[in-house]
Amino acid sequence: MGLLTDPNGGQGKLTKLLLNYHGKLCKLSYLIGVIWFCSLAAPQFNSNTYFSENALLPGLVKSTFQQDRLALQYFQELKDETQKYDSSLPYAWLLAKFRQIGLDAYTHNFTLHSPLNPNETFYGKNVYGILRAPRASSTEALVLSVPYRPPSSIHPTTLPSIAIQLAFAKFAVKEKYWAKDIIFLITDHEQLGMQAWLEAYHGVSCGNKDVLNHGDLKGRAGAIQAAINLELHSVRIGYLDIKIEGLNGQLPNLDLFNLAGKICIKEGVFYTFKSKSRAYFRDPYTEWLYYFKNLLAMMTTHATGIPNGNHGLFLRFGIQALTLEGFEQSKEGSRVGLLNIGRVIEGIFRSSNNLLERFHQSFFFYLLPNYDRYISIGLYMPAACMIAAALIIKACAKWFKLQEEDINVAYIKVIVVFVLMHFIGAFVNSLPQIAQLFNYDVSSAIFFGLISVLITSLLVPLVLKDFSFEVMLIFALLELGTTLICLSMNNISLGMFCSVISVPMALIIDITSNKFFNYLQKLLWILIHPFTILFIVVTINSWLLFNQESIGEVLLRAIVATQEAVIYSVADSMIYGNWLYTVVTMVLIPNWLCFWCVTFGRIKSPKNKFD
Amino acid sequence: MRLIFVLYCFLHVKSSTFAIQEDTFTEELLIKPLFSEQVYAHFQFATTWNIDPKNENYHHSHLFPRPIGETIERLNIQELHISLTGGLWRYETWGYPVVDAAPGAEIWAWFKHNTDNVDTNWKLLSNSLSGLLCASFNFVDGSNTVSPQFSFRPRGIVESSNNTFLRYASLPREIVCTENLTPFKKLLPCESKSGLASLLNSGYIHNTKYHSVSLHLRQICATEACDKLAQELQLSVSLVYDYAIMGTKNWSFKKLFGHGLNGNCPLASRSNIFVDLSSKTSHDFELTPEPDDVIYSIRGGQEQMFAKYDIPPYFLSVGAKYQNNLDFNVNIPPPLHACQYLTGYGQERGGIVTEIYNNHWKSLDIVLLQNIAWFVPVYLHTLKIVSNNNQVIEPSVLKYGPGKQREKPYYLEVVLKLPPRSLTKISIDFDYVFLKWQEYPPDANHGFYIGSAIISSYLPLAKNYTGLPQDASTITGSFNASRVGYLVQIRTENMVITLPTPDFSMPYNVICLACTVVALAFGPLHNITTKRLILKKKNRKKLLERLKNKFVEKFFKKKEEKSENDKNE
Repeated sequence: MGLLTDPNGGQGKLTKLLLNYHGKLCKLSYLIGVIWFCSLAAPQFNSNTYFSENALLPGLVKSTFQQDRLALQYFQELKDETQKYDSSLPYAWLLAKFRQIGLDAYTHNFTLHSPLNPNETFYGKNVYGILRAPRASSTEALVLSVPYRPPSSIHPTTLPSIAIQLAFAKFAVKEKYWAKDIIFLITDHEQLGMQAWLEAYHGVSCGNKDVLNHGDLKGRAGAIQAAINLELHSVRIGYLDIKIEGLNGQLPNLDLFNLAGKICIKEGVFYTFKSKSRAYFRDPYTEWLYYFKNLLAMMTTHATGIPNGNHGLFLRFGIQALTLEGFEQSKEGSRVGLLNIGRVIEGIFRSSNNLLERFHQSFFFYLLPNYDRYISIGLYMPAACMIAAALIIKACAKWFKLQEEDINVAYIKVIVVFVLMHFIGAFVNSLPQIAQLFNYDVSSAIFFGLISVLITSLLVPLVLKDFSFEVMLIFALLELGTTLICLSMNNISLGMFCSVISVPMALIIDITSNKFFNYLQKLLWILIHPFTILFIVVTINSWLLFNQESIGEVLLRAIVATQEAVIYSVADSMIYGNWLYTVVTMVLIPNWLCFWCVTFGRIKSPKNKFD
Repeated sequence: MRLIFVLYCFLHVKSSTFAIQEDTFTEELLIKPLFSEQVYAHFQFATTWNIDPKNENYHHSHLFPRPIGETIERLNIQELHISLTGGLWRYETWGYPVVDAAPGAEIWAWFKHNTDNVDTNWKLLSNSLSGLLCASFNFVDGSNTVSPQFSFRPRGIVESSNNTFLRYASLPREIVCTENLTPFKKLLPCESKSGLASLLNSGYIHNTKYHSVSLHLRQICATEACDKLAQELQLSVSLVYDYAIMGTKNWSFKKLFGHGLNGNCPLASRSNIFVDLSSKTSHDFELTPEPDDVIYSIRGGQEQMFAKYDIPPYFLSVGAKYQNNLDFNVNIPPPLHACQYLTGYGQERGGIVTEIYNNHWKSLDIVLLQNIAWFVPVYLHTLKIVSNNNQVIEPSVLKYGPGKQREKPYYLEVVLKLPPRSLTKISIDFDYVFLKWQEYPPDANHGFYIGSAIISSYLPLAKNYTGLPQDASTITGSFNASRVGYLVQIRTENMVITLPTPDFSMPYNVICLACTVVALAFGPLHNITTKRLILKKKNRKKLLERLKNKFVEKFFKKKEEKSENDKNE
């Protein structure tokens, strides 16, 4: 290792090596990356979860929650009460209960001006109560939230969670050890209510202006340290599933996840991650497969960047949060009542109450192949980098080759085209705003506008003449490589899926004189256009869901579903600030177009057919 | 023997004249069931010393605590106000307390106008108080002290009220506990041996929702005509008990303080317990034993009724028994209350918002004081005052002192008129800054505290008001005390802010990395500097041939040749 040796020494050799073997190196790098990543699911290559934060002291105290009968009574009352309201919260009842228990009770109104239809406005109302901690002066808080679902909701009911929430409040208000205020929050309209409440609490707007009017809060309780979102579907719980995937692929601190698991074990509640619990195998391959499937299940939800529960919206604000979803059906044949669930909540809150510092010790970037094993960022990043490195190796090789050939390149022209492609992306990204300006019905305008822009953009390469496709290829390769590494840093699942699909295709693309090969790479490249991928995924999904229908019907369904998916991602970016749509339109599509340009390149002299 | 007797008689006479003529001490306890689910207990101990504060050297004191006397004499103090508080007074549901106090520790002092170096005296004062009360007042220095112009006017008689002689600081992170209470009790004439102070049982009073001890020292008029001055010291303890934590609404001395009262303090000229009966109309309770007297008081249009107990020299325990538990009180918020919070997320930019509610039907003049630590650099141009979400309010007076890193806090004082029945938001933006690595406190990830804002106002009516008028030093003095205005100084909640905090395991990582780099760099550097570089022909032989050569070299060549070869390399 010569750090201080002459940089010119031996470079020629390295260059030559790169020029001669870059094809093999790229393939090798890609394969090593993929194999590395896949093998991480095997228990030999990942590690057991553990507590980093000593202050949590999980399960050290004896649980004293006994209000399960009260919870059942609340549940019965609440069931009757909800019949009187068709879609809104039974807020009068909830406020009265909160006040009776001795909490400061407040309501919170919010308004959504539909980002897709300027004439549509939705109203919502959250209810929350704050338990003022006797040991502190409202500087820190914990949140116990429940999404309210009216009887007409398509989602399974969450009324038992409200009942247990109230019972826990009744229990907690008598205790004098609280050092953090506890906010009991019941939100309206699923994630919308939660987002509005969080925005109002922090006095900011995360999405586009004038879309979600978050309203004002009358009562606050300082910096929120942790939040637990409850979704119990029954008063008898077969198993609790812990959900962690948040907005834009953010995850809660691993300590909080471990805490929830540890307390569940202590209270004898069967808990799972991705509805899978621990399994034991003799055969290492089946064992790996089991963990790998689990890992993939996490990655698919993680990659979308859409939170799979209300907890996911807290993470942006630096609040660690997770959802406990309770199912009635049992995995082990036994069920627990609200007593154990109440004690799980008590345990989690008492542990979080012990925290002196906010959650910072454990991992924020990780993947879980099972509830008690984790893959840290240090293990998976090398794999992601290996895959992206293939592109960079190829770009380097191309660059050295270009230097050896020593021909004049019109860089300006390449840069202009490169920037133009990104302008197209920016245009696509701002389509919803443009459509709003002209007062179109945004939902269809966006989709068809998008399709037409994308199809038109396919024609751009036809006007390119005397163009140095080689340099364009280098630019595109470098951009894709960097993007993939950045994506993997932020959301490894999304980064990994993108890498695994796009890298081999990008490696295939080259400037050839072979007509057949040229058409083949064009076809392959169209196949991995983000929208083609979306369409393929949606089609497979609808085929799996409706497999008895004919192909035509399935395709029709897929087209409608694709349109909806695009519209939802636009709405998500405008309401919640989800950056999936932005990343796809601002980076991935322009980059795709750059490569698309390259596929139109032809080698002029037939001498060097292949390099 | 005779001499000793004479001396004893002389001393006895001297000390008793002291007591009769110059010192008076009163002890009072006010118990007020709040309209929410709490009961408020306020102990008020007042000592008045009829001496000329100018000439007195405080070497002899009778009831007045000598350490305080010595401190004020040595440091030239005109007025001194200290509070140590755990929990937050909830103005919205509890009304106004007798004495306002911010969470944590708070101190403000007026120095006499002939003080040469106020800052030195201030530093000495905070250090001596830190020893006297076992609190972290030694952390009070230039970096968290301000001299507000409007918010803290002198409470007593002063020669000049130029704010250059005023210093104010707060320590929001201070945790108040037993170690502060014990020295506090020692300042009382009977300590905690008898009298009301014996009820201050730390095992009980720190289990409350709010507990605050405070010390207020000032000069007052000794006579009606104010031709003579006197030194006055008010010591008070405020406690708020929660019925839910107590488990019942029926309170008694045993429930609140752990035991009953074992007689009055014999040194006190008056020992009283008052129980506010105002909440009886909405939720009836019975007092045991029957009160000695019932006092009617009309103050600022508010009618009140108090049960009065004269504490006898023998055992007494007062308790209340509620008639039934089904009543539900409707809480009416007081005319003025406020809250404070942080806005924004991430660690780049943020804002501080103070919301002030004016529930009164007329506009109110208020003064808002914010003492913002230097590590939260605020921008004055972002100061926005908006009422009811749309009406921009221009402040009548705006005082701003820019902060200086590590030296001076940001000081903001705004005088404004709140519109009637309004919610006014005062917001200012700030940047997050990096600190030097030694400046992070232990448990750095806990966050940094921003102290409470102070909102001062003269309320036109005494609704929900229990404060003492300026001319009184006892609770008795607040009965039937209608005045032009009623001073309130609302303290908002503290805020915890998360500054960008480095990973403190980083130094270890840095050491490891630095060592690796040094080790890696050392080899080539050593090679370059110690070895001669000679061009050498490249060995273009095939691998097999080279291996063969090596083999031959090792086993068949002579030693001398081999060493020569090594040298050349």
